[in-house]
Amino acid sequence: YDGLTPGCHLHPFNVTIRSDRRGTCKGTHLVYACVGYCESSAFPSRYSVLVASNFTHNITSASRCCTISKDAKVKVRLDCPRGRHHEEIEILTAEACRCDMCRKSRY
Amino acid sequence: SEVCVAVTTPLHGFRGCAVREFSFVAQKPGCKGLRITTDACWGRCQTWEKPILDPPYIHRHHRVCTYNRTRQMTARLPGCQPNVSPLYHYPMALHCHCAICSTQDAECETF
Repeated sequence: YDGLTPGCHLHPFNVTIRSDRRGTCKGTHLVYACVGYCESSAFPSRYSVLVASNFTHNITSASRCCTISKDAKVKVRLDCPRGRHHEEIEILTAEACRCDMCRKSRY
Repeated sequence: SEVCVAVTTPLHGFRGCAVREFSFVAQKPGCKGLRITTDACWGRCQTWEKPILDPPYIHRHHRVCTYNRTRQMTARLPGCQPNVSPLYHYPMALHCHCAICSTQDAECETF
């Protein structure tokens, strides 16, 4: 991603889906992720934060992260041997990106 | 990775996480405030969200610029009441890095 300027941008990648472990039927589709460099900082906490945290949070982190702000479903058709073909499978793709909230679940 | 940024470096295109000068007013009840200039962390870490096939359907990598190594500093606040300690402790950044914000020892704010 070295060519990227700061900010949060669409980044294409290929996803391959297989119908089973042997890969009998499979399909590949180009979808988008969001990748980028958003601003974040960390600094000494205000006294009110220190008191509220019983003096455990002496650092405050203020940050934004690269997120998917708009997504869409795309259908991937799985091709099978001898012309049989499975139903289509829906996957997500990013349509727009934004520096926004870092998610607490993995943040 | 360790990155040093001189004051004159243009920051609009900076990527990475570095020690940067930071000023704040140290205040607590019963004392007057004191402006302190110290070292804190600032930067732009690589973050991403990528669609995946299985739940939760989005794979996130949200790392933020935060303290890696610190030195505990102590300032003496002016004008404190007799029953109030004038000592004010705060961290100074020695080294910063891109990492998960730990709610164990930091106030994680995001917006």
